[in-house]
Parts: sequence; structure tokens; C-alpha cells
Amino acid sequence: MSGAAITESPVVIALGRLILLLMLLALAAIISAAMAIQYAFGELPCPLCLLQRVAMFGVCFGIIQQLRNGTSERSTGLSLIFTILLLVISVRQTLLDLFPRPGHEYIGSAIFGIHMPVWSVLIAMALLLGFAVKLALFGGSHAVPETEGKRMSRFIQGLCIYVIVICAINFLSVVLQCGFGECHTSGYKLL
Amino acid sequence: MPMTAIFATMLIALILDRSGPRSLAVPCLFLCLILSVWLFLWEIYSPEYGFRMPWIQVEMEPCVALVRVA
Repeated sequence: MSGAAITESPVVIALGRLILLLMLLALAAIISAAMAIQYAFGELPCPLCLLQRVAMFGVCFGIIQQLRNGTSERSTGLSLIFTILLLVISVRQTLLDLFPRPGHEYIGSAIFGIHMPVWSVLIAMALLLGFAVKLALFGGSHAVPETEGKRMSRFIQGLCIYVIVICAINFLSVVLQCGFGECHTSGYKLL
Repeated sequence: MPMTAIFATMLIALILDRSGPRSLAVPCLFLCLILSVWLFLWEIYSPEYGFRMPWIQVEMEPCVALVRVA
């Protein structure tokens, strides 16, 4: 069984794209949930939390490129760089707040008993696993299949626009929270 | 300023990839990455400890004793 025969199968290409789509959906849902917690419960994100959101948007960038232009090693590489950034930041934050002491404790409330930075570690590990499985089973480079339905194509386009919109909302939120200086969790600087 | 710049570059990268000159999207993304790494290092640096985390140091003596016994 040759590698070329595996990568050219339309089913294999569709499954590879499905994995990417699910990863993008999950990331969009996670960032939206974080924003909902921020705006509904008034839990302002710390600087490291904001950097983790940036890393997630970076992963989204690579996935969006693959969904729109066809999968490629270059776009996978971009996503992996930001996944590693997410892992490094979240592990460091988890270790930073591991032993609660004055000025250092997990920010925000726990979700299902797990704090946000620990969730970020799990998310980064899941993303690494997702990319590894995708590369191992479905290969690196494929063009966008011509047989892909219009409905699916529209859904992907809509999801891409949604990611850009939530990034824009986050940008405005950061401007309000941090202004043009340091970020603090005490309140919105410009409000 | 850095965090605002980081989110601004990420937003510009996403917009350029969608509807602008795509060749500028990836350089913009890398600029965002560089700013993010710089801010991350700045955030975790402590004048007292540097980049170390002395609060998670473990006791070495019991481990050394175990190795000696083995």
C-alpha cells in the first residue's frame, strides 16, 4: 500500500478536513466561552490568559488557511508553533499559581473543578494530538476537493468570519482593559 | 501597549489572510508571535527570582538517599 494512494483518496481528504473543521469549531467555542465568562460574570483575563487567547487565534489562523486554500505542511507548521506557545504559556501559568500564596493564585473560577490555565494545558495537548493524528493518518498536503458541497463551503466561510469577528471583539476588549499600558485584572482601564 | 499591539497584529493577519494581500498575512502573524514571546518573557520575569520558580523546588535529600540505597 503506497502513501500516494492513501493521500489521493477523496474520503481520506474529506476526513482530514473534517478533523481540521472540528478543531476550528472547538477553538471558536472555547474562546467564545472564555469571552462569555468575561462579559457575563465580570472575570477579567490576566495578561497570560490573554496571551493564551492570542495563541489560540494563531492556531485558528493556520487551520483557516488549510480549510480555505487546501491543507499544507506550512500552515500546519504555523498552527503547531502557536500550539506550542499555548502549551508553554499555560504550563508556566499553572506552575506559577500551583501553590497559592499572596499575589499568586488561580485567576477566575474553576470550570468542572479545573482552573483555566490547566484547561489550556489540556487544550494544547488535545491540539497537538489532533495535528499528529491528522498528519499520521491523512498526510500533509491536499488541495480543496472540488466535490465539496456548497453548504459545507459556506459553513467554513461563516466559521472563518466568526473567528475574525471574535478576534476583533477581543481586540476592542483589550483596548478597554489595558489601554496602551500594562494589563490588570482590577477593571477596565478606559471605562 | 504591547498587548493591544499583539491583538492588533493578530487581527490584521486574519483580515489580510481573508481579504487583503495574503503575502503580508504571515509576516504579520510572525510579528504577533515575536511580540507575544517578548511579552510572555517580560511577564514571567521577576527581579527577585529571575525566571526560576523557587516555590516548586522539591527536597533533594530523600531522592539522593533512595538512589544511594539502590
